[in-house]
Amino acid sequence: MLLDVKNLAVSYGKNPTPTIEGVSFDLNDGEILAIVGESGSGKTTVIRAILNVLPGGGHVSNGSMTFDGKNLLELDAGGWRALRGKNISMIFQDSGNMMNPVHTIGKQFVEYIQVHSDLDKRAAWDMAIEKLELMNLPNPENILNSYTFELSGGMRQRVGIAMAITFQPKLLLADEPTSALDVTTQAQIVGELMFITRGSGAAMIIVTHNIGVASYLADNLMVMSGGRVVEYGKTDDVINRPQSEYTKTLLASVPEIGGRRYV
Amino acid sequence: MSEIILSVEHVTKKFPVSGGRFLTACDDITFNVRKGETVAVVGESGCGKTTLLKAIMNMQKPTSGKIIFHGEDITQLTGEAKRQNYRHIQMVFQDPTAAFNPKMKVRDIVCEPLINFDLIGKGEVDSKARELLTQVDLPADFVDRYPNNMSGGQRQRVAIARALALEPEIIACDEATSALDVSVQDTIIKLLVKLQREKGITYIFICHDMALVSLFSHRVAVMYLGNMMEKLDGDKLNQARHPYTRALLKAVFSTDQEKNQYIGILPGDIPSPLNIPSGCPFQNRCEYCQELCQQKKPDFSEVAPNHFVACHFPL
Repeated sequence: MLLDVKNLAVSYGKNPTPTIEGVSFDLNDGEILAIVGESGSGKTTVIRAILNVLPGGGHVSNGSMTFDGKNLLELDAGGWRALRGKNISMIFQDSGNMMNPVHTIGKQFVEYIQVHSDLDKRAAWDMAIEKLELMNLPNPENILNSYTFELSGGMRQRVGIAMAITFQPKLLLADEPTSALDVTTQAQIVGELMFITRGSGAAMIIVTHNIGVASYLADNLMVMSGGRVVEYGKTDDVINRPQSEYTKTLLASVPEIGGRRYV
Repeated sequence: MSEIILSVEHVTKKFPVSGGRFLTACDDITFNVRKGETVAVVGESGCGKTTLLKAIMNMQKPTSGKIIFHGEDITQLTGEAKRQNYRHIQMVFQDPTAAFNPKMKVRDIVCEPLINFDLIGKGEVDSKARELLTQVDLPADFVDRYPNNMSGGQRQRVAIARALALEPEIIACDEATSALDVSVQDTIIKLLVKLQREKGITYIFICHDMALVSLFSHRVAVMYLGNMMEKLDGDKLNQARHPYTRALLKAVFSTDQEKNQYIGILPGDIPSPLNIPSGCPFQNRCEYCQELCQQKKPDFSEVAPNHFVACHFPL
């Protein structure tokens, strides 16, 4: 088992009521888990807790998390540095925002590679190009010399994914990776995520509010509401045989082409 | 079929850019909006749908073309006549947080248009605000709230209440539900449909989600790079014949695993609107592209009753 999360609870500051509570799931190599839910349901908090990057005084107040045999709650700063970006990496909603707009993409990509390896600049640059090519980006050299604002949303997201998969991490955490994109670009990126995880054997946790994307990608599906897990199981079971009322309502509100019409 | 309430005739909007060039955001757009119907304008970012809406809202004057409303070309209106025209066409924005002044209470927000047009006195604000909130299924005592004390869905209801205040004939919605969760989105759409039945309001709904559009639109217009590609009835989306419309439909992920097998990926990106290829604007991403498509821009022609396609080889 790659990741084992048991009874996870996260609290913010001195607030005694945890923001999320009783979250348990496990993930094997190459498996994809999708966490769906509405805004404020705590789905992003779960993956931020796994990477220990909770904002503003957030901390794990209960439960356990084991990744690849290591207890994540006992790691020190050095341990995290070795893990993050190399064994576990994250894809954000808008990868443009995670990068510095006043430096070229190449400078940041090379810096990232050098932090996690002992390659020299030239080798790191070549590695970056190789990864960008993997994401079907034309003219990778050109992209490395560009600034984030010079690329389209879809290209920025591809750069973000290329960076995330550089060191062939065992676990990818994707936080709404396609929500800011157009439908056709979304389909491209989802296809590429599928290709990459299936090809490299990486496991992935994808947080999304698009239930269609979740059911397309994921092996397992977790539905969250109000910081609690409402339903968790095989995607097929959750989608086709939902048990909780909440999941049923959520699924019923997803619009389908050729489905119900109000006029 | 009901009467035509608004007609957009050959609207073109060009923005000057550096080097003496022009960016064509809308290229010869023509369509009619019928009373009490919902027209959805669908397309990806940069396809010119918001520019078109701004022209209809009279916020931007088109470079050429007419927008006829009540027998009058509203793009030519100026001064007080232009201001009075706003009474009949109101708008709901994508981000309800940004659309309100955070220091105003809901009461003042929803009644501001009425005060602007001297339709009610200061003393009537409270009762009118309560009435408007009830129409959008919000508790009447929300009048004392500030926008940041409400959820996204509630804020969007307040935005709809404000748009309703002047009893407009047309409400234009610019991605009005894109920022909302699916279940909230569903309730807002139901509300819009209910208001349409009660008051006969006409909606022009800008959206990029084909599945959402299929829920409630009478007519769907698909735009790409400033051009209208296809126009058809909302309940006949499955009969779409333009390759781009088909691609949009195929890009929608469904909760039905069987439908997900048919997900099709449209390769490439939208070309820059600064150098639109001559011929069909969709040629470089179209799998059916032929020589003719690169040479001649297809006409917008009727392939079936009420079904228009701009394609040399409709599917």
